[in-house]
Amino acid sequence: MSVILKTDKLRVEFKSREFRQSPKVALSGLDLEVGTGEVFGFLGPNGAGKTTTINVLLGFVQPTSGAAALFGIDVRQPIARQRIGYLPEMTYYYKFLSAEELLRFYAKIFGLPRNETDKRIAQLLKLVELEHASKRQIKTYSKGMQQRVGLAQALINNPDLLVLDEPTSGLDPVGRMKVREIIQRLKNEGKTVFFASHELGEVETVCDRVAIISEGELKAIGRVSEIVAQHPSLEKAFLEVIGYKPQLA
Amino acid sequence: MNPARTLWLLLVVLFVFSFDLAAKLQPQFQSIESTRRQSGNFFSLLLGDSSKIFANSFFIKADEYYHSGYYPTIFDNNSAFQTPHIAEDTGAVASHNGGEEETSFMGPPRDWIDAFGRNFIPNRHTHLDEGGPTDDLSESSQVREILPWLKLSAELDPENIQTYLVTTFWLRTRLNKVSEAEQVLREGLRNNPGNPQLFFELGRIYDENYHDIARARNIWEAALRSWAREEPDVPQSDRLKMTLENFDDRFMFEQLQTSLALLEEKSGNTAAAIARWQQAILAAPSTADMQQHIEDLKHKLAEQPSPASSK
Amino acid sequence: MRTIFALAGVVIKELYRRKDFYVLFILTIVICVIMASVNIFNDNQIVRYLKELCLLLIWISSLVIAITTTARQIPAEREQRTLLPLLAKPLTRTQLILGKFLGCWLACGLVLICFYVFFGALAASREHAWPLLSYFQAAILHWMALGVVIAMTLLGSLVFAAPSSNSTICFVLVATILCVGRYLDAVALTLGEPLRSVIYAFYYAIPHVEIPFEMRNLIVHDWPLIGWKFIGLDILYLLAYMAIFLVAACLVFRRKPVN
Repeated sequence: MSVILKTDKLRVEFKSREFRQSPKVALSGLDLEVGTGEVFGFLGPNGAGKTTTINVLLGFVQPTSGAAALFGIDVRQPIARQRIGYLPEMTYYYKFLSAEELLRFYAKIFGLPRNETDKRIAQLLKLVELEHASKRQIKTYSKGMQQRVGLAQALINNPDLLVLDEPTSGLDPVGRMKVREIIQRLKNEGKTVFFASHELGEVETVCDRVAIISEGELKAIGRVSEIVAQHPSLEKAFLEVIGYKPQLA
Repeated sequence: MNPARTLWLLLVVLFVFSFDLAAKLQPQFQSIESTRRQSGNFFSLLLGDSSKIFANSFFIKADEYYHSGYYPTIFDNNSAFQTPHIAEDTGAVASHNGGEEETSFMGPPRDWIDAFGRNFIPNRHTHLDEGGPTDDLSESSQVREILPWLKLSAELDPENIQTYLVTTFWLRTRLNKVSEAEQVLREGLRNNPGNPQLFFELGRIYDENYHDIARARNIWEAALRSWAREEPDVPQSDRLKMTLENFDDRFMFEQLQTSLALLEEKSGNTAAAIARWQQAILAAPSTADMQQHIEDLKHKLAEQPSPASSK
Repeated sequence: MRTIFALAGVVIKELYRRKDFYVLFILTIVICVIMASVNIFNDNQIVRYLKELCLLLIWISSLVIAITTTARQIPAEREQRTLLPLLAKPLTRTQLILGKFLGCWLACGLVLICFYVFFGALAASREHAWPLLSYFQAAILHWMALGVVIAMTLLGSLVFAAPSSNSTICFVLVATILCVGRYLDAVALTLGEPLRSVIYAFYYAIPHVEIPFEMRNLIVHDWPLIGWKFIGLDILYLLAYMAIFLVAACLVFRRKPVN
C-alpha cells in the first residue's frame, strides 16, 4: 500500500492581531500518513486543527515549518491537487448555475475532454441522485441537495484522494445516510478518503483508520477496531484521548 | 387610561387639527397658486430661483453645440467666449468677447498627457451655420442642434428675453421656421407682457416674412405704446429723455421708429414716414445720413401733387 | 487558458442571469425614447442632444455594471466559500484573478455591444447615417477604459473588506478622474508646495480614462475619425494600466488567507 498523503512535523502558527500577543499555534509537529484505498477519519474537538490541516494539504495555508505532500508532490504545487477532490464544510455554490453547469465548469478547470465530461456528469448526477434537478438553478435546491452537488463537484475529476470536511454537518438523518452511502460506495471502488468529522458514529461505520488531534497535536492514530477494543466505544476513546473529564459522575 | 385608546384619541385630535389648519390656509394657498401660475412652469416650481442658473448653463450649452463641442471649460482661457457666439451673431446682445477667436483657448499643451488628450476632443473653432467640423456649407441647417438647449433654457428662465430673441433669430433666418419663431415670440410675450424687444422681433416677422404691413405696423406701434407704459407716472417728454439716456432703450427706440418709418415709406405714406424719421433721429448716434434722407423725403413730398390741386 | 476562460464563462453567466443589466438597459431606452418624443419646434432631425444623453447614460450604466459586478466577485467567493473548492482544484491564484478579470471585461464588452447598437439605431433614426468606424473607435476605447476600471476594482476588492466600500471608493475615484482628471495639472499650477507636487504626482499616476470619456463629444458632433495611430496608442496606454492593476491584485491575493 503506497502512501498518498503525508505530513512531516507540520507546524502552523498564526500571528495574533493583538499587540504583543504571542502567535497562536494551530498545528504542532503533525505526522500523518494515509495509504491508498483507505478511509481515514480525522477527529478532534472544535479548534483542534482539523480544518487547518486540510487547508495546508490543499495549499490554502503555508506551513510555518515541516512539510506536506500529496502523491509525493509538495502541496504548494498546484499539480498536487490534480488528483484530489475536496468537499468543504457549509459551501453555497454559485446559485445562478444549475448542477450540470456547475459540474461542467469544474470539469473545464480540470481540463477534461468534452465527451468525458458529459459521461462523468451523467454518472455523478446519478450517484448523488440529482438527475431530476440537474437543469434547475442551485438556488432552488434544499441543503441536502446542495451538499450532494458539492460531493459531485469533488468527484468530477474521478479523484484518487477525496478530502471531506464535515460532509454531513447540518444535514437531516436521510441526507446523512445518503452521504454515508456514497462514501461507502467510493470505498468499495478503492478510493482513498480523508474524512474530518465530529460524527463519531459515522466515522466508526465508514473509516478504516482514525487519527485524533487536540490543540494542534496528534493524540492517537490507529485502526478503528484497535481503538474501540481498548474502550467501551469510540466516543469514550475520543473523550479520554482529548483529556475530557465529565463534570457529572 | 388604555394606551390604545390614548393613541386613537391623539389621532382624532391630530386629524381635527390638520383639517382646521388646511381650512385656514386654503385661501392663502390659492393666492400663492395663482401667482405661481402666472410666473412659471413646472421647472420653475421645481427648482425655484436656481432654475435661472440652470437656464444660463443650458444657454451656454447651446453655444457649445454651436461650436460642435469646441468650448472652454473653467480651466481654460475663455476671454473669446465671454458672450455666447449664438447671441453675439444675432446682434441681440453687445459683445464682451476679447482675444482672438481662432487661437485655441487651451493654449500650448502643458504636458504629454494634455497634448495626447487633445486628439480626442474637438480641437478646431467652427460654427454650425458655417458647416461645422466638416466645413460643408450645405450642412448649415445643422444649426438646428442648438434648439433643444435654447428651448430648455427658455422654459427654465421664462423672463430672459435674450433666449427668445436668439431662438427666434436662428429659427427665422437659418432654418426658415417662421411660424415656430412667431410661436416662440408669442410665448415670450405671454411670459413678459409688453416687452418692446419681443414686439419688435414679432413685427419683423410680419413685415419681412409674412409681408403683412398693417399688422407689422400695429405690433411696432404697440411696442412703442407698451414702452411708454413702463413709466406711467413720468410725463411723456421726460420719458423720452430718460429713454435716450439709456443705451439699450435708445437703440430699441431708434430701431422701432426706423422700422416704422421704412414701413410708411413702403406704404407710400411719406408724411408719416418723415414724422417717424424725425423721432428716430433723436436716438440715432449719427444723424447726417438720416437728416439727408428726411430732406429727400420732404422734397419728394413737395413734388407730389396734393389731392386738392389734382382735383 | 482554458481554466481562465472557464472562470470567465461563469462571470458572464452571472451577469446575464442577474437583473442589473436589463434594468439599466431598459432604463436607458425609456429615458432616450421619452426625450426623443419631445417636440422641438416641429423639427424631427434634431439628434445631437439625444446622442449626448444616450452616450452619457451608456457610460454611467457601463460603469455601474463594471464596478458592481467586479466588486462582488472575490468577496462573494469568500463569503459563500466557493473559493475553497475552486482553489482546491489545480488552479493558481493568478489564474483566478485573470479569469475573474476576463469574465468581467468580456461581460462588459457584451453589454457595450447592446448599448452601442441601440445608440447607433437611435442616431440613425434621426440622421439616417451609420458612421460605424466612429462608433467602433468610441466603443473600443470605452471597453478599454472599462478594463482599467475593472482591474482597479478587482484590486480594491482584495484590499477593502466590504464590496460596498470598494464600490463607493471606485465610483468616487472614477468620477473624479472623468470630471477633472484632464485638468489636474492646471490645478496643480495654481497651488503652492507641497500640494502642487502631490497633485502632479496624482495626475501622472492615475489612469486617464477620461480620454475615451471626452471622446463622446466627437461622436455627438460628427467630427471626423481620430487617427488610428492615436487610437492604438491610447489602447496601449490603457492596457498598461490594466496590467499594473492586475499584477498588483495578483501580488495582494497571493498573500491573502483564503478563509
